[in-house]
Amino acid sequence: MTDYNDRIEEMLEKVQKAPRYTGGEMNAQVKSWEEAPLHFAFCFPDTYEIGMSHLGMKILTGIINDQDWSLAERCFMPWIDMMELMKENQVPLFSLESRRPLKEFDVVGFTLMYEMSYSNVLAMLEMGGIPIMRDERGEEDPIVVAGGGCASNPEPMSPFIDAFMIGAGEEVILEVNRVILDRKTQGLSREECLKRLAHLHGVYVPAFYRAEYNEDGTLKSFEPVSPEFPARIEKRYVYDFDHTYFPTKFPVPYTDVVFDRITLEIMRGCTRGCRFCQAGMLYRPVRERSLETLVKQAEDLVASTGYEEISLSSLSSGDYSCLPELIRELMRRMKDKRVSISLPSLRIDSVLKESLEETQQVKKSSLTFAPEAGTQRLRDVINKGVTEEDLIEKVRDAFEGGWSSVKLYFMDGLPTETEADLDGIADLARKVVAEYFHVPKEKRAKGLRVTVSASTFVPKPFTPFQWAAQDTIPVINQKQEHLREVLKIKGVNFNWHAPNLSFLEACFSRGDRRMGEVLKRAYERGCKLDGWNDQFKFDEWMQAFADCEIDPAFYANRERKKDELLPWDFIDCGITKEFLWREKEKSDRAEVTRDCRQGCNGCGIQRYKGLCSYAEGKGKQHADTGSI
Amino acid sequence: MRIQAVFEKNERVRHIGHLDIQRAVQRGLRRSGLPVGYSNGFNPHILVSFASALSTGACGQREIMDVTMAEEVSTEEFLLKMNQAMPPEMQLLEARQVDDRHPALTALLKAASYDLLIRDPELSRRLVPAIGPMMEQQTIMTLRKSKSGLKECDIKPMIYALQGKDQHLYATMALTERETCKPGMLLDALKKTAGIPEEENVRMLVVRTRLLGEDGEGRLVPLEKL
Repeated sequence: MTDYNDRIEEMLEKVQKAPRYTGGEMNAQVKSWEEAPLHFAFCFPDTYEIGMSHLGMKILTGIINDQDWSLAERCFMPWIDMMELMKENQVPLFSLESRRPLKEFDVVGFTLMYEMSYSNVLAMLEMGGIPIMRDERGEEDPIVVAGGGCASNPEPMSPFIDAFMIGAGEEVILEVNRVILDRKTQGLSREECLKRLAHLHGVYVPAFYRAEYNEDGTLKSFEPVSPEFPARIEKRYVYDFDHTYFPTKFPVPYTDVVFDRITLEIMRGCTRGCRFCQAGMLYRPVRERSLETLVKQAEDLVASTGYEEISLSSLSSGDYSCLPELIRELMRRMKDKRVSISLPSLRIDSVLKESLEETQQVKKSSLTFAPEAGTQRLRDVINKGVTEEDLIEKVRDAFEGGWSSVKLYFMDGLPTETEADLDGIADLARKVVAEYFHVPKEKRAKGLRVTVSASTFVPKPFTPFQWAAQDTIPVINQKQEHLREVLKIKGVNFNWHAPNLSFLEACFSRGDRRMGEVLKRAYERGCKLDGWNDQFKFDEWMQAFADCEIDPAFYANRERKKDELLPWDFIDCGITKEFLWREKEKSDRAEVTRDCRQGCNGCGIQRYKGLCSYAEGKGKQHADTGSI
Repeated sequence: MRIQAVFEKNERVRHIGHLDIQRAVQRGLRRSGLPVGYSNGFNPHILVSFASALSTGACGQREIMDVTMAEEVSTEEFLLKMNQAMPPEMQLLEARQVDDRHPALTALLKAASYDLLIRDPELSRRLVPAIGPMMEQQTIMTLRKSKSGLKECDIKPMIYALQGKDQHLYATMALTERETCKPGMLLDALKKTAGIPEEENVRMLVVRTRLLGEDGEGRLVPLEKL
């Protein structure tokens, strides 16, 4: 423990939810600081309850701690009360395990999962005693790295992060750590260290790249400052997903966290090709873990955590090729241990349903469906391969099977959306209600509850909608007003969110380096914890845009032209820009694209031999495994 | 068969509330692989109970859990497996087998001993000398927080022993369902005697050192010996 320990103890007596900051959970790995030469602070830019639910953190801290030359400690965003006390008592942001300030670590790594956590990164750096701007950091300061889904467009965060890891982090994180260990042991200068990092496959070091802009604000050029650096950054992949590292132990929080259960990652990627879905595009190709591996992981984790529940995680668990077998096998092995399996709500076949009822393992909570759009035309535009018949059939099954609560997820503001599409949402809801009443009274469960949720569409990079304009806030407000009117249906609840947050998300998701200025300004104006409704200060954000003389509509509400150089074009995320444009044109014609499993659509992943099992020309052995 | 085990809740996890401690023990029992008993019913839970809830912020040196086993298990095996399954912050110290008819812990509990550390040495120098004068009072009136608000009560009959040394107060006080003197109530009374204003915050680390019951002759003895 450190010099700050007494002050920390005193602060902990005053804050709400002190366990957010105390660690000491079962399976928390506490390694000796002196014995491991490289110290990595794994930072999740949101509170403990959110961060501890994140699987990637468990995987990556596990990998780092498994090396005898490195240790990883955890750090989360403190809540407002703790932040104020830390400021008042001059205590820097510290790690959970050894309570050391962030600046004492060699590497400070952030996981970027959603745009609205960006301001927390700045807050954590500043509280941790590290200069916020990367070009203000000196020889004594840690190297600040970042990865995660949002790193696929790293530009808005590029003024603050020394090096980004693009793509799967399992291998590259150790390569980065080795270079940083060299910095320490060989006394490399910061500059030299960053240069070496920039040569790692899948690593982007923004200091060595220059962006120039046209007069209209669009990007004119984006190039490395010297030919020694790669012009394009290729994302990293995990080829042998079945054998890639997965921890056998997770820290088990004492207090409630968002996902307080075992999460098994059964599959990475998705073959469906929904055009709005960034994850579906980014995490290609689809790779499954074998049943044997998953059963072993489940048993290890049940034994090491004592959790009562396992959930299966992936983008589309219903597509896992042997899902019924997996669930049956898990249930068979877990029955005596009284562990329940939460199932993906779709694709419950009838045989499985029977065995579920036998074991009484199924809690008849609510079933969730995501038609995303209200009409077939619009579902074709977004390539959401769900038909009304499909949905109604599943809903009928559910009502007959004793469920009475159904959630339906939609998006508003999708490209080409008209009033007819909004009315379609109400039609669908009405049909779902009707299905319930078709089930004989004595057979159906009481208390029908249909919840319709609409979120505002945010166009994302690396999707066919990356060129699309987001609806303006007034338009979204009008659409939501219309939805509120048409969804006044008995038995139906309607949830919606004010579009302000989605508007900002749209600015950041397709932002360039200048969005970094806005972020810094907003942070200076007091913006942080933006993902929390009661903390989100939209007016301050708008003022920050004004202070920087940057128009948010340029990022959110502007349709891009085909030949525009996009800020994230220098990242090779596997799928090609040509494929995305092709998909965009098909979307304009409301034309669907088949599921990859029915044939290769040539998205670009086929360039990597042996990576995608549905790619044309598969079967060739891969020479390059993507690692160094 | 039941097993009663003495366990520690150390300083690092002292801010964990009782419900979360209960859950941590239940998960520890699940990890241990020991043959624990489950309740019947739709949502079976492990049959484990605790002598007394320990307040958030307090440490416990000898807290007691009572676990119903589905099969006979030796105390050695219980301790070994549970200590592998529990975090270093909540280790078990000893265990014994008890008969199914043994009274519930809560029914036997009469009192608890505490080691109360006054963080500020200056304040402890004023509080410790106030013990004598306070105990000489006919009554020691203090406010007790209850569901219906603050109530004045006399804690003198609830204080069985009280001594002070350096920064520590050592107290043994009533802890039953009917009457309980909490460390905070004792501190409030002592502050009053010492002339420390009510609103002045006195930082105190509460360590509950023992849980006590009554033997046949009315003497207080460790609960785990009854």
